[in-house]
Amino acid sequence: MKKEKNWNLIIGCVLTGMTIIFVLVGFFYTPYDPETMDVTAKLAGVSAAHPMGCDNFGRDILSRVMKGSGTTLVVAAGTVAIGTMAGILIGAFTGYYGGVLDEVLMRIIDALFAFPSILLALVFISLLGPGKYNVIVALGIAFIPSFSRIVRSQFLYQRNMDYVSSAKLQGASDIRIMFVHILPNTLSVLRSSVMIGFNNAVLAEAGMSYLGIGVQPPDASLGRMLSEAQSYLFAAPGFALFPGFVIIVMVLGFSLLAEGMKDA
Amino acid sequence: MLEIRNLNIEFHDHLVPETVVHDLNLRVAEGEIVGLVGESGSGKTMTALAVAGLLRRHDMQKTGEILFQEKNLLECGRKELRELQGSEISMIFQEPMTSLNPVRRIGWQVEEALRLHTDLDQKKRKERALEVLSQVELPDVERVYRAYPHELSGGMRQRVMIAAAIICKPKLLIADEPTTALDVTIQAQIVKLLLKINRENQVAVLFISHDLSLVRQLCTRVAVMQNGYLVEEGRTESIFMEPKEAYTRQLIAAIPKIERVD
Repeated sequence: MKKEKNWNLIIGCVLTGMTIIFVLVGFFYTPYDPETMDVTAKLAGVSAAHPMGCDNFGRDILSRVMKGSGTTLVVAAGTVAIGTMAGILIGAFTGYYGGVLDEVLMRIIDALFAFPSILLALVFISLLGPGKYNVIVALGIAFIPSFSRIVRSQFLYQRNMDYVSSAKLQGASDIRIMFVHILPNTLSVLRSSVMIGFNNAVLAEAGMSYLGIGVQPPDASLGRMLSEAQSYLFAAPGFALFPGFVIIVMVLGFSLLAEGMKDA
Repeated sequence: MLEIRNLNIEFHDHLVPETVVHDLNLRVAEGEIVGLVGESGSGKTMTALAVAGLLRRHDMQKTGEILFQEKNLLECGRKELRELQGSEISMIFQEPMTSLNPVRRIGWQVEEALRLHTDLDQKKRKERALEVLSQVELPDVERVYRAYPHELSGGMRQRVMIAAAIICKPKLLIADEPTTALDVTIQAQIVKLLLKINRENQVAVLFISHDLSLVRQLCTRVAVMQNGYLVEEGRTESIFMEPKEAYTRQLIAAIPKIERVD
């Protein structure tokens, strides 16, 4: 029997690979300096010199998109890293031990869950002040509840498996059982939720920067560019379209990758 | 070597406390194979788990003494117990399909007890692992060492479990219905293997089963449990030849015999 091709995985890999190359190039080389303004090129359309046109200050959009998607990606990666680490810790302890610890921590998580994560991030931003790194922290904290929920349910299920008893009987400590024996068994579930979380983080960062509480000017970020572009939708449609398109490609790539990994 | 004195196990997870083991007394001498038989729910597995130190829950109460080499297992701390587990006492379970970690290689799992209880390096550990894997009569040990559990059959997995259990040369091996999930020919092989390991390693075996014909082949002494009580205990021949209790007689009568149906 011939194995069917996993198109989700293939297309996801291609799109994600393209985004990452795009971002990596952006870190070292951009056609123009993303912050240099050029009054003569104000809201210029698509041309050979400016493949995506220029914004309201005459800055090259391609350069800004390259820098901006880097920012977005870093914020998303940081967010997911914080969310996953804390989520694994909380989920592992509550799921494995249960009891009072579980009750107390899960009620706190429930309370956090009651707020939409964007709202939660808004609260933290107003406490911490805006800026790239504060966005990472705020979104990271906002993402902890969902990750710890997922990890907890996995640990709850796995802790009653016989292989856990046999590890216990071989004299393994609880910490070792949790992180060396059980954790690898939860990775398949965790992997796709990390991917989905990554997507949500990209969108959340874009959303927050759009609202003006995320990445601050003159730093470029995709959401920031969208919000700046909205007053010029008719004068320079490319100003909004290109950053939006990059967000779509990024999110689509990761979604397909997550979907493909689930089937692989 | 192992002496259980007046063991009571009581669960408190329902409104009315439920006693699953009543005043159990049992001894296992060094190098001996003792069978613990009884029907489902008679408390044999609970007894085994208590000896193995796996019954550590707050909603239950255990009284009495479980003396292992003069040390009361019910009173010693977590750390002390962990040092015994895997190196002095080990256990094999009923279900070989789930008792191996699905995402780890066989070699890694067999070596786990060595990793925890000795400071052998990677190479020495592998040597020892291959040695026990061939002791449990697995073919092509190098390949098994690198395999994942799903690549092995049930019988092979049970052999792997036995290998992992004996790698640190424990004094006591608890076998909780190790053959129930296997078919009859494999059962006979596993029983033979347990006998061989018992002789070669001088390890005492507490063999838990409801299959009396297996117990008869394997054990030197038998203890019969019913509803949490120890009903009868004695040498295998005397239990089978002249059972004193009615319950034991019933159990023996229940052994299926192959007869011609006319």
